[in-house]
Amino acid sequence: MSPRPLETIAGFAAYLRDHGLAVGIAENQAMVAAAVAVRIEDWERLRAGWRSIVCHCPPEWRKYPDLFEPYWFPNRLKGTAKTDGQTRARRDLRQVIADLHDDLDAQARPAAQADVSLTSTAASGIEQPGERARGGASRCEALANRDFCQWLPQDLTQLERTVEALAQRLRRRALRRLRNDARGRRLDLRRTLRASLRTGGEPFVPAWRRPRRERPRLFVLVDVSRSMETHAQLFLRIARAFVGILDARVFVFHTRLAEITPLLASDSGRVQEKINALTAGFGGGTRIATSLADLVNGHARHALSRRARLLILSDGFDADPPDQLAYELARVKRRGTRIYWLHPTRDAAPTAPLASSRDFIDRFAPLYDLDSLARLGQIFEQEAR
Amino acid sequence: MDERALNEVLRTAGYIADEGLTTTLWFSLALGRPLLLEGDAGVGKTAVAGALAKALGRRLIRLQCYEGLDLQQAAYEWNYARQLLAIRLHEHGTGIGERDLFTLEYLLERPLLAAMTSEVPALLLIDEVDRADEAFEAYLLEALADWQITIPELGRVAARHIPLVVLTSNRTRELSDALRRRCLYYYLDYPTLERETAIVRATLPDAAPRLVEDAVAFVQRLRREDLQKIPGIAETLDWVRALHKLELRALPEDPETVLRTLICLLKTRDDRFQMSGERVRALAEGSRSGVVAASA
Repeated sequence: MSPRPLETIAGFAAYLRDHGLAVGIAENQAMVAAAVAVRIEDWERLRAGWRSIVCHCPPEWRKYPDLFEPYWFPNRLKGTAKTDGQTRARRDLRQVIADLHDDLDAQARPAAQADVSLTSTAASGIEQPGERARGGASRCEALANRDFCQWLPQDLTQLERTVEALAQRLRRRALRRLRNDARGRRLDLRRTLRASLRTGGEPFVPAWRRPRRERPRLFVLVDVSRSMETHAQLFLRIARAFVGILDARVFVFHTRLAEITPLLASDSGRVQEKINALTAGFGGGTRIATSLADLVNGHARHALSRRARLLILSDGFDADPPDQLAYELARVKRRGTRIYWLHPTRDAAPTAPLASSRDFIDRFAPLYDLDSLARLGQIFEQEAR
Repeated sequence: MDERALNEVLRTAGYIADEGLTTTLWFSLALGRPLLLEGDAGVGKTAVAGALAKALGRRLIRLQCYEGLDLQQAAYEWNYARQLLAIRLHEHGTGIGERDLFTLEYLLERPLLAAMTSEVPALLLIDEVDRADEAFEAYLLEALADWQITIPELGRVAARHIPLVVLTSNRTRELSDALRRRCLYYYLDYPTLERETAIVRATLPDAAPRLVEDAVAFVQRLRREDLQKIPGIAETLDWVRALHKLELRALPEDPETVLRTLICLLKTRDDRFQMSGERVRALAEGSRSGVVAASA
């Protein structure tokens, strides 16, 4: 016997929810309303109609066809793989709509709608996205302590969330420039007077300003030399999250320095390919000091200031003379930029260049799993005080 | 009105919509829910609202969002000048009470209120909602959920006709989940070859068919290149218009000539810099073979 149409639709909603779409009761009701609105012969329209109801952003929009097809038309797929425990249920979208219309003929519409919310709650439970229980095992725990080298690509959403939390903790600094703001504390005399013209010279509506607050500008240098081979891939992913969320500028180096911010900003699968092409000509070895000099003299000459933070993601093995790194770091430091050295191992490698530059580096911090990335937030906060 | 009819009236209004978009628009009308359109700049998000208003014979009310947009510019504002004038006029007469001053007569309607109080059903376009700040977005939630605006001095103003609301966003900022979930969502992508050809033909009927085919195929290929700013439909139209003004019947053989006209399509220095005669030739030849394949 086929299940009732409302249950089938609720089942589809639960299936979408399991795949990360934020489909709640409101969406479920809208899906039913849409199914009621189409005529039985136009049932194929529901594919597009439901898409606009359950998708809320471009990634979901792109994901939807891959979810809709296997659910409703498992037979159209080659080599049918069982996706979950629900494949036995009969799923004929046309039949579902026909049943729904039949049901509606039998009972009043408001009653049917009330039924929806009950069904959806009972059939699927109300779950928040990201809090899916999986047989008592939570995957957040495992992820937090897993080394980045062991990660799977799908775990990276968690990474983005961590970087978002970091962004919150990177304090905004007040600048001397002011901006218009209704809740500001300084009176903007010029705009107040201008506005008073409307009210016959009576300044009824005062205009206010407050200092513009901006986040520090982040510069991220990623070491892609041979010694960092296993870590560079994931450091680049972290850097990519930094670009998307914190508007950072990212550079890669081993013997020379190259900016890759534009490559990371576009959401394309060819990023790695392009970065490889960019760094292909680099010779062996690592020249951190020379690369840093490139940054200071060229790429970020005017931007390295009190408002900038420099994150160097490297193990500290440098082929340049040991004192040169200290010299270049001192130059950066003199401009008021804070420097963080993030090493992929639990402790910083005891290399000569690092030993001599210790005084110029504000903080050393390990970066090998999500917890260590999250701890960066505390470091950012501490320095702001 | 069913979807086919909707598609037809949109076409008459000068907008060629694909099937998915027509379906979404139809659902938006049928379910009475706002529609959130996202997509790159230049794919025709704003044009959808304009064409829809024209097609449905609704009054188009546009609210252009920007940073710092506040209630006074979005919903309503008291006409202080007129109120003061009224006070002065009545100074020596019978006198005027506070109640007389806070009436609809002294209220300046801004787009949100105008859409609610419109005599005829309106289409409210909230353009580039991502540019407005979060406080305004929160205010919008109330207006879109209850179709009413509360004015402290007057009370509740409910909508006479529930307006059809179209919001557009360029994703310069993430919108809140609350707003997204109140709207139907449609991601407007760059048009397919067939649709873009149809758009160009409909807009520029005088241009030579071969020129239109060549140019559109060229642009379609150009979009696959690694550009900073991908040309939108408006750019294609500009380019074909320019080529038509040069009295060309097809895309010129000489890549340098094409390169000179690419100012219509490439809008950043980097994009312009990376486009050489050789690449233009490759793109143009690709488009020719594509057209031949299509006609074969």
